[in-house]
Formats: sequence, C-alpha cells, structure tokens
Amino acid sequence: MKGRAVITGIGVLSSIGKGRDAYWKALQRGATGVRPITLFDAAPFRVKSAGEIADFEALAYLGKKGLRDLDRSTRLVCSAAKLALDDSGLAISDEMSRSVGVAIGTTFGSLHSIAQFDRSGLTEGPRFVNPSHFPNTVINSPASQVSIRFTIKGFNTTLSTGFCAGLDALSYAADFIRLGRADAVLAGGVEELCEETYRLFHDLGYLSGMSGAEPVSRPFDAGRDGFVLSEGSAVLVAENEEYARSRGADILAVILGCGNAFDPEADSTFERAGRGLKTAIAQALEEACVRPKDVGYVCSCANGMPGLDRMEARILHEVFGEDARHVPVSSIKSMIGETYSASGALAVAAAVGGLRQGFIPPTVNHRQTDTLCALDIVPNAARAQAVKTVLVTAADPYGQNSALVVGGYNR
Amino acid sequence: MNDRVVITGLGVVSSIGIGWEEFWKNLLAGRSGISPVSSFDTTNHFTHNGGEVRNFRAEDFIPAERLPFMNRATQMAVASAKLAWEDAGLTAGDAADHTVGVSHGTTLGAAQAIEEVDSLLIQKQELRKGLLYQMPPHTAPSAVAREFNCHGPNFMFSTACAAGNYAIAYAYDLIRMKRADIVLAGASDAVSRIEYTGFNQFKAVAPEKCQPFDKNRKGMIPGEGAGMLIIESLGSAVRRKAAIYAEIGGYGLSCDAHHMTTATVEGIAACMNKALLEAGIGKEEVSYISAHGTGTVANDKIECASIKEVFGPLYKGIPVSSIKSMLGHTMGAASALEAIACALIVRHDTIPPTINYESPDPECDIDCVPNVARKQTVDVALNNSYAFGGNNASLVIKNFAGKKERGLD
Repeated sequence: MKGRAVITGIGVLSSIGKGRDAYWKALQRGATGVRPITLFDAAPFRVKSAGEIADFEALAYLGKKGLRDLDRSTRLVCSAAKLALDDSGLAISDEMSRSVGVAIGTTFGSLHSIAQFDRSGLTEGPRFVNPSHFPNTVINSPASQVSIRFTIKGFNTTLSTGFCAGLDALSYAADFIRLGRADAVLAGGVEELCEETYRLFHDLGYLSGMSGAEPVSRPFDAGRDGFVLSEGSAVLVAENEEYARSRGADILAVILGCGNAFDPEADSTFERAGRGLKTAIAQALEEACVRPKDVGYVCSCANGMPGLDRMEARILHEVFGEDARHVPVSSIKSMIGETYSASGALAVAAAVGGLRQGFIPPTVNHRQTDTLCALDIVPNAARAQAVKTVLVTAADPYGQNSALVVGGYNR
Repeated sequence: MNDRVVITGLGVVSSIGIGWEEFWKNLLAGRSGISPVSSFDTTNHFTHNGGEVRNFRAEDFIPAERLPFMNRATQMAVASAKLAWEDAGLTAGDAADHTVGVSHGTTLGAAQAIEEVDSLLIQKQELRKGLLYQMPPHTAPSAVAREFNCHGPNFMFSTACAAGNYAIAYAYDLIRMKRADIVLAGASDAVSRIEYTGFNQFKAVAPEKCQPFDKNRKGMIPGEGAGMLIIESLGSAVRRKAAIYAEIGGYGLSCDAHHMTTATVEGIAACMNKALLEAGIGKEEVSYISAHGTGTVANDKIECASIKEVFGPLYKGIPVSSIKSMLGHTMGAASALEAIACALIVRHDTIPPTINYESPDPECDIDCVPNVARKQTVDVALNNSYAFGGNNASLVIKNFAGKKERGLD
C-alpha cells in the first residue's frame, strides 16, 4: 500500500443546502428538502413531492461556456466538482493532471436524456433526432464532462451500482490512491430528479405516500411507508495523504477502510438479506483497524423502506452486540430524501461534517420507534458530540452492499 | 499483495459463436457476424446491418421463471458467465469456499428495457413490474452473482466502449488487494435502437461491412454480445489445479479530457504507456496489439497515430488486428471479448485477422494482419479500448506458460 486516502474538499448540491457549509448547517438544523415537484408534471403520479433542489442554476458555478447541451445530472455533478476543487484548493495543472482521476457513481447517467432521445426517434423518426443529444445518452457522460471541464487526465470511471454507487465511487478512489494509481481523485455521486427515474421508483411501489398520505421520509419509524426520491450530488476530493500534506492542504478527514459484499438473498423486502451488509461492514472495520466499540457514529442507509431499515438495524445489532443501543445511528435521508446513486457520497459528506464540527445529524420526522429498529437513532434533533470514527453504509435491493469507515484527521 | 493474477475460464456469447471454442474457430476463419438488424425496424435509418447474436437462446442457460426479470444484455451476461464458470471447472463448492466477486461492464446497461418502456408509454399501455425491475444496469452483475451464489464484491462499470477493460482491470486490483479470490469479470451489451439511431445520426455506421484500417472504410457496425473471464490469483488457480489461459500483467487508464466523442493521440498513448509501465513490459516485448479498431475514419487514424507515438519505429513489426471487423462494435462487451481473444492468442500463438481489408491507407500503415489469420509466437498482447468521454483503458495479457514450456526457447 502506498499511503492513505484523505479528504481535502467537499462539494455538495442537495435539497437542503448548496455548498458544504450550508449542507452541514442544514443537517445540524434538521432541515428537510421535500417539496412539490416542479421539474416535470407530477399530476399523473400518486405522489407529487420529492427532494428537488430549489433554484439550482449551474451558471452560478460553471459560467456560461459549454452549458447548453449538458443535462441536469451533468450540471449537478460538474457544479459539485467545482465546489469540491475550490474547497480543497487543488489546482489542476498540466504537470499533475495525469495523476488525478475522476470516479463518479451514477446508475443511469440521465435516464431523462436517454428516454428523450429514444422518444424523439420514435415520434419524429430516426433521421430527425438531434445528434448532439446522443452523447448525453451514454451513462459515463456526467463523469466524462467533469474531466473535460477541469482537464483531469489520469482516469475517468463511472460506477453504476444503484443505491451503492456513490459509496462505491469513493472506495474505488481510495483504492486507486492506496495502490499508487493516483495522487488525487474527484469522487462522488450524482442523481437528477426526472420523470423517468421517478416513474421507475413510483411504479415499483417504493415511494412514501403511495396510499394517499403526505409523503414523509421517516427512517426507522414505526409509521414509515417508503422513501422520498430526491436529487443531489456530492463530490469529494480524495488525496494521497503525503501529496495533500506536501501542498499544505487542509485535511478534513481520512478514509480508513472500505468493504463490499453481495447478498444473493436480497430483494425489495430485504427479509432474508443481511449477510452481505454484515460482511461489508466487517471488511471495512477490519481494513480500518477499528473495533466495533470504537465506532462513534453510524451514518445509515435506512431510507424508510420497511424491510431495508429493519435489515440494517438487525445487522447493526449483530455487529455491535451489547453496545448496539448506545451507538448513535441516524439517517440523513430523513432530511435529504433518497438520492439513490448520490446517497453514499452525500452520506460521507455528512459524516465528515460530524467529524469536523462535532455533531451527529438527526433522524428527523420521528414519531414512534419501530421495536424492530431499536437503536439510538438521534431522533429529531442533532446532537453536539465529538466524533472520531464514522461508519457509512449502503445497500441495494439487487444485492449490492457497501460500507466505508471515515475518521477524523490527526497528524 | 503482488500475487500474480491469471485467467482460468472464458465465456462468450457473440454473433460468430456461443462458447469460446466456436468463437475462436470463427475468428481464425475470418467469419463475419454481420447481418440485417431484426430486433427493431430500421426502415427509416440510413443503414440496416448490425452484429446481432442470431442464435442466442436465453432459455438454454436461464430458468424460464427468471427470464421476465432480465433484459437481453443481462441474459447474455448470465449465459457467458455460465460458460466461463464451467470452462474454469468451478463448482458450487468453490463459490462457498472462496470469496467470489463480479466485476461487470456495459455501455448501454438495460437500454432495451428502457426502449420497451418508452414504446409502451407512447402507446399508453401498462408497464409490468418485471420490465421495471430490468431497467437499472446493475441487474447484470446481480444476476451473475445470484447464479453462482457469489458473496464477494460486486461492481458495475458504465465506462461506455471501454467498460470490459475497466471491469477486468478492477477485478485484477480486487485480487491483488485480496478482496476476492476469484472474480467473474466481463461485460455485456445488447443491440439497441437508441445506440443504432445515435451512430446513424453521427453518420458513423458502415452500410455493409466493417473495414478497420482500410482506405475506404465507411464506419463501425453496432453489434452485441457478452464476454466473461474467470480471473483469479495464481495461488487459487494452482490449488484448484485449474488450466491457465494467460496472465494479466497490468493495465493503464487515461482520460482525454477533451471531447465527448473525439479521441486524442495524447490520451490514447498515455493509456498504453501506463499499461506497459505497470506490467514492466518494454516496447520491444509487445508481440500483438488488439486494436480498438472500430472502422470509423477518425478512430482508426488516431489509433494508428497513437501506436506510432508509443512504439516509434517498432510499430511496423507489431501485428495489430481488429476483431470488430467480424463482430462489429459490441460496445462495452467489445473489450471483454477482445480480452478473451487475447487470452486465446497468447495461449495458441495464433492471431485472428482484420477482415474486409482491401485498400491500404497510408495513415494506417500498421500491420493489420489482413484477411488471413497468422501463426506467430505471442508472448505479450496489449488490449486497447477507447470510449465516449475519452475513457481509455489498455490491458496487458501475457503468455503464462513461458517460451520454454511451449518448446520455443
């Protein structure tokens, strides 16, 4: 191994705040980002609210040049990358551009761009489709536009593992730094809110509010009924520790370990699942040389899907044993909603906020504890508390599970 | 951590053969897999040919009750994985005793499912849940892992037309980091009307045949398929007494950081140089290059210039062929199928040709192994792949046995 991966910059665009400071403040405040959908006509859907980012203007981050043909996913991730680069003070020069990479989690790229291109061919005929829209249909378009915009030549990787994609991009980046394949990586995830992705989760029955009640993101609560779909992007600058120190960067946190395991028993009920998440957590802790009792906070992937939250609670009980009720475990998805491919990266961005500013984000909208999720979920209000080590989890109904341990930085 | 990484199983679903034996036989015979597109209507497109896998019968590989939950690309991925698994002599016991991972790649993911949804919505019809379930790309590595009860790491790389190489490359890392003992690494893509329409509108599709490096080449031909490799540590392969096809020497990635659809010599050359450096291979040691070789005017020209940039005067002595001349461009699956070809090339010391080669192009004056396969010692193969977004990947595949064992020394 050729050195640790540290985090030196964070760029966030979320339904509760833009930029890392606003994001951290909103997490401490327990803000929620659920609002009526304006990006498309939600009238045909049973649920009409989502975690849409209000007043997002890519122009404010990227300037006018080259924006015209970029879809929302690409605008979001490029803007987050710009914020992350500015935050880290990492200037990409010709000399070091080949040792910097990009790793982005996105499952569809832009499902809207893909479907719109197809519909244009179907309704107007294939010879009338605008060729300049074709590149946006390729899943690696958002990540590639980050490299193009900021001239990053080392590598460019897109990971498409659904709910795990954002966390997987960060662990891939950490691996590349530890293997000496890169000095720095812009790593994160992106999810745009669009009609097509919304329809997918709506029609699969995953969303809160399908029964006609007001949609609420209520992880671990007895009354939870699904998730609120949201958009967002978080890009982090991960760097080789020595490289970051040599340029005098302000090191925000260190990536201590990662784990990834598949669970053939998984489905949308998560009833028989668990072995995969447990293995992923065990691997991440082992790699981090962190004992379960030294975990100060779990930034959980619970999103309000009844089975997922229960599965995670059960596995955390197995991992922490007698201490399980004393480890704070909260879900920021109660505030920002389920940002799917971006969720893991937004969770790590939140965890770093907790490490850096000494707080544990709350699980808001909590009314009544589900007895099968008996954990310290930090209900409704953030807790001022020093944190040294955070475990971040992700799990997908198709069977993927990821875990990552991030720690405070002491020289 | 520096355990050697070897290839012990190959699985192929292609337009010129299902299973590596038929694929290899037809590669050496220079058989074309190009035919008129049948999976959607091309009446209003400029071109009508594609590289569809005409005789793929998913039900030969997958239980009928699971088929409604798998799009065509995933079906081909599972079939190729089954073929590779059996080829490597792996058993259910191996899946229980080892950490088995899946590292998969794609360009289009489940584009055919997305297209079916689009059609149904336009016709104002109901969407069935099985179809919705098919839509995310990671259904493919998920279905592969479920097939063999794999509990190891599971990844999906959507790095467009270099995705197969990205997936194999990370499998190599996973084994060297000891995160997995064995990895099913590969890629799959099914012919899609989105892709076909897009390349048609780019005027990048050849009407009849794919002619990489030919002066009169008219473009690429969209194809489909799946390639899967069993990648494992040498230790694991030896313990299992598995037959070893080849060794992975290392890889290089780069990004052009220039344009979504126009490649650069600088980016491609950097990628090849990184792969050779990591593998500790000198330029004079490279005995074969599996070209990206799509058959478009721009790609082949830039690729040849990049090879000259890296190899200097040595370039004329290195055979460079493109099996896309036979398969068309199978998108993300292409570099996985080409990696399989490289494993067979270093194992059998025989190089498949670039077919449809008629007129030399002074800008592409590489030795493209025109039209006829060639018997030649190949110790080191370099598998090149380039993609939209400037996502480049080169993989070094080496002969494992060494010259002595082959009686060549």
